[in-house]
Amino acid sequence: MATPIIMPKFGQMTEESAIVEWLKKEGDKVAKGDILFTVETDKSVMEVESFEAGTLLKIVVPPHVNVPVQSTVGFLGNPGETIPTATAPAPAAPKPATAAASVAAPAAPRAPIAAAVSAPIAAPVAAPIAPLPAPAAPSLFRISPRAAALAKHSVIDATRIKGTGPEGRVVEKDVRNYLQQHGYDKLRISPAAKELAAKEKLDVLAIQATNDSGRISVADVQRAVAEKPKPMSKMRQVIAQRLTQSFRDTPHFYVTISVDMTELIAYRNQLKAAGAPYTVTDFIAEAVVLTLQEFPDVNSSTDGKTTRWNSHVNLGIAVSIEQGLVVPVIRAAEQLPLLELCQRSKELATKARAGKATPDELSGGTFTISNMGMMDVESFGPIINPGESAILGVASTRPQPVVRDGKIVVRQMMKLTLSCDHRIVDGALGAKFTNAIKQKLEDIELWKRLTA
Amino acid sequence: METFDIAVIGAGPGGYPAAIRAAQLGAKVAIIEKEKLGGTCLNWGCIPTKALIAAAETFEKIKHAEKYGITVKDASVDYSVMIGNKDKAVGTLRSGINSLLTANGVKQFTGTASFVDRNTIEISGGASIPASRLVGSLAPPENGAHGVTRPTEHITAKKIIIATGSTSAMPGFLPKHERVVESRAFLDIKKLPASMIVLGGGFIGCELACMAAMLGVKVTIVELLEDILLLLDADVRREVRAHMEKNLDIRVLTGKALDKISADAKSVRGSFSDETLSADLLLCAVGRKPVTDGLKLENAGLKTTERGFIEADDYCRTKVANIFAIGDVTGKIQLAHYATAQGIAAAENAVQTKQHQHDTIVPNVIFTSPEVGTAGLSEDDAKKQNRAVKTGKFRFAGLGKGMATGENVGFVKWIADATTDQLLGAAAVGPHATELIAEAAAVIRSELTSRELGRTIHAHPTFSEIWMEAAHALHGECIHAPPKRK
Repeated sequence: MATPIIMPKFGQMTEESAIVEWLKKEGDKVAKGDILFTVETDKSVMEVESFEAGTLLKIVVPPHVNVPVQSTVGFLGNPGETIPTATAPAPAAPKPATAAASVAAPAAPRAPIAAAVSAPIAAPVAAPIAPLPAPAAPSLFRISPRAAALAKHSVIDATRIKGTGPEGRVVEKDVRNYLQQHGYDKLRISPAAKELAAKEKLDVLAIQATNDSGRISVADVQRAVAEKPKPMSKMRQVIAQRLTQSFRDTPHFYVTISVDMTELIAYRNQLKAAGAPYTVTDFIAEAVVLTLQEFPDVNSSTDGKTTRWNSHVNLGIAVSIEQGLVVPVIRAAEQLPLLELCQRSKELATKARAGKATPDELSGGTFTISNMGMMDVESFGPIINPGESAILGVASTRPQPVVRDGKIVVRQMMKLTLSCDHRIVDGALGAKFTNAIKQKLEDIELWKRLTA
Repeated sequence: METFDIAVIGAGPGGYPAAIRAAQLGAKVAIIEKEKLGGTCLNWGCIPTKALIAAAETFEKIKHAEKYGITVKDASVDYSVMIGNKDKAVGTLRSGINSLLTANGVKQFTGTASFVDRNTIEISGGASIPASRLVGSLAPPENGAHGVTRPTEHITAKKIIIATGSTSAMPGFLPKHERVVESRAFLDIKKLPASMIVLGGGFIGCELACMAAMLGVKVTIVELLEDILLLLDADVRREVRAHMEKNLDIRVLTGKALDKISADAKSVRGSFSDETLSADLLLCAVGRKPVTDGLKLENAGLKTTERGFIEADDYCRTKVANIFAIGDVTGKIQLAHYATAQGIAAAENAVQTKQHQHDTIVPNVIFTSPEVGTAGLSEDDAKKQNRAVKTGKFRFAGLGKGMATGENVGFVKWIADATTDQLLGAAAVGPHATELIAEAAAVIRSELTSRELGRTIHAHPTFSEIWMEAAHALHGECIHAPPKRK
C-alpha cells in the first residue's frame, strides 16, 4: 500500500504549517533525498526531503493551506498502488492563539476588496456625485442574475448597492439608479483600462484618473491594483504579532551612550591584516556576553509577577533577510571562546540569510543585539524580543569631534542604545549595564588578551 | 549683456520647436545655431534623404512599369537634378523656420555657444542676424555671418535648453580619403558611384543603400553584428532584408567586421572574411555621437555620461536645475520627432511651474524598400520584459488594395497584452508603412484593445484596412484569411 507523506514538525513550537510549493507533480518519480515540497513555518521556508523512493501518487494538501503538523499531505508508492481513502486534513481552524507560534492566518474567505472606499469620482463634473457606499457583508448580499450581469458589464462592485427587491435583493433597476447617481455616464476610461479593471475585479467608480484629460488610463488601474490589500507572508505576520505584543505589554525605556571605537577598530584592522576573522560585531557580541554575566537581571525575563534568571546567555543577533527579519540565537554563548563565538555567529547568519536556519536555531534567546552600523544611522531604539528583558541597538561608527584632555579631537564614535523592560531593569541598572559594555569595548588590553 | 528668459542652444528639430513653444508661452527667447537652421534633420538627414529616396522610388517604378502595361524607353537618371531638387526643398523649409522664429519674436544668434556659468553663454564665431538681412531661402553664408566674423558676444538666460544634437561617428581605422564618406558628405556628392560599400546596417545605412541601389549603384552592406536593422523584430527584419537582397540586388554581409580598409585614387577596399571587397565609394553609417565639443559644460556644473551624452529625465531636466537637455545629445531615442516632443516638454517645463513628462509612445519609421514603421512594444521587448503577449499578423497580399495596386510585399503585426487584449505595440513593413504607423501610434496611446480596433470601420479599399484585419487575426477571426488549422 502507498506510504503517506507527513507534514513534519519544525521546532518545538510549531503546531501547523502550510506548503508553499510542491516541487514534484503527481506521477513524478521521486528518489530518496529528493525535495518534495517547501513549507513555510513562522520562521522561514524549509525544504522537505523524501525519506523513500517511489512515485508521487497523490497530493492531498495543496499549497497555502494551513494543516496541523503530522498530517498526511500526500502519498508515495508504486504506480497503481491503492491509496487509502484520502481524507484531506481539515485546514487548521482559526483558534485563539495559545502559544506565540500559532498565529495562522484565518482561512475564512477574505472580505470583498474595498479599494479606496469613497474615493472621489474621476471625471471633473459639475453635478454632485454621491460618494461610494461601503460594500455589504458577503453573507447578507443578494442580487438578481440580470443585475449581477449589468454590474459585471459595468465593472463596478455590486455589493455597494442597496437592494430594493425582496429581502433587500439588488435588482437591475437598483444597479441602473446606482450608476446614474455615481456619475457612471460621465466616467471616462480607456478600453484597455476597463478590461484590466474587470480582470482584477476592481470597481471603476473607485479608480481615480491622474492625467490632465480626466480619462482613467491603464496606469491608473495598475495603481489601484497595487493598492489592493495583499496578505502578508507568514513571517511578516509573525513579526507583526510578536512586535505588537512586546511593544504593547513591555514598558520600554532607552539608554544611549557613545563609545570611542578608535582603538578597537585600529586593533581589529591590525588583526585583519594578520588574517584573523574577527569583525567589530564579534567584539560587541563578546562584550555583551561578558557584561550579561555580571548583570544577571538583564539576562532574565518576567511575566509581570515573577522573574526568571537564565543560567545561560543565549545571544540573539538580528539578521535582515529579504522577507523580513530573523534572529538566530547563539546558545550558551558564555561557554564559547571569542574565536568560536565569531565562527558560530558567522555560520548562523549565513544559514539565516539562505533561509536554512532551523526553527530551534531561531528561538530561545535571552538577549538580542541589533546592529545597524552599516546603515548609516545616528542611533535607534529597537523593540525587545518577547521573553527577553533588553535589546542593544548598535548604530554606525563615525568620526566625531570629542573632548579629550580639554582639547577637541576627532575620534571614531559609535552610539549604543539599550532598550530595557522597565519591569525588571531600572534606569540605574540600564545605565550601569550599558557603561559596562562601553568600558569593555574601550579596554584594548582586554581584546589583546581575548585574541591572544 | 542681453538677458533672456530662455536660451536654446541648437536650432534642429528639437531646438527650434522648443524656442517657438517657449515664445508662445510669453518668454523672451534666444536661439543659438552654429551652422544652419533645421539642424541635421533638415539639412543633412531626414529631409534630403527623403527627397532623394522619392526620386529613386519613382525611377524604380518606371523600371517596373511594364507590369502595369506601360512601356518607358530610355529612362535615365540625372543625379545632379535630383540633388538640385533636394537642395531647393531643404532651402524652402529652412527659410520657413526662419520666418517662424522671427514671427514668434525669437532672437537668433549664429555662432558656437559655450557656457561661462550656469546662466551665461558666450557666442563666438558669428553674430545675431536681423531677420531683415536674411535673404530668401538661405540661412547665413558659410564663412561666418555675412562674410564678417563678429566679435564674441555674451548673453544670459534664466533657463537654458541644450539641443546640440549628434554627428556621424567616424571610427579611427577608416582612411581619410575622398572615397570614404559619412551620410552628410554623401548627400552632397555630385555624381553617384558605380559601386558602393555601406559600412553599418542600421537604418541610415540601409535607407541610403536602398536609395543608391534603386538608382543603379551596386551596393554591398557590411554589418558587424549578426543581422542588419537589429532594432526590429526578426520577422520584420527578414522581410526587409529579403527584398533588399532579391529585388534590389544589394549584397548583405553580416557577423564580421570589414578589415584592412584602404583607399586610393582607383577604389576603396576592405576584406570581409577571406574575400576582398572593392568599390568606388565607402559610406560609413556606424552610428551617431553626441555634440558637446566647445560647450564647456563644466562651467555650468554639468558632466556628460561615459559615452558623452547629457543625461536628462523624462521632464528633460538635467542635473543642473536651470538647464534642460533634449534630442540626440541626451542619447535616448535619436529621432527628430522624439526631439521635438522633448523640446516642447522642455520649453513648457522651463517656462511653467507645472511640470509634465513628454510622451513615450514614439513611432519609428525607416525609409528602406520596403518601408518599415514601428510603435510601442516590440515582440523582442515583450520577451525581454517577460511579458505575456499575443500577436496578430496580416499580409498586404491579402488586401484588395495591395493586389489592385501591385504593392503587396510585407505585413503588419499587432502586439497585444495576453490577458487584457490591450494593443501595446505594432510593426508595419511594406507599402506606405511609414504613414500607416501613425494610426497604430494613436491607437496604442489611447489604450485601445484589439477588439475595439477590430470593430472600428476602416475604409475599403485602402492600405489602412490591414490594421483591422490584423486585429481580427489576434483572435483568429479574420474574414480574409483561412482559419488556422488546429
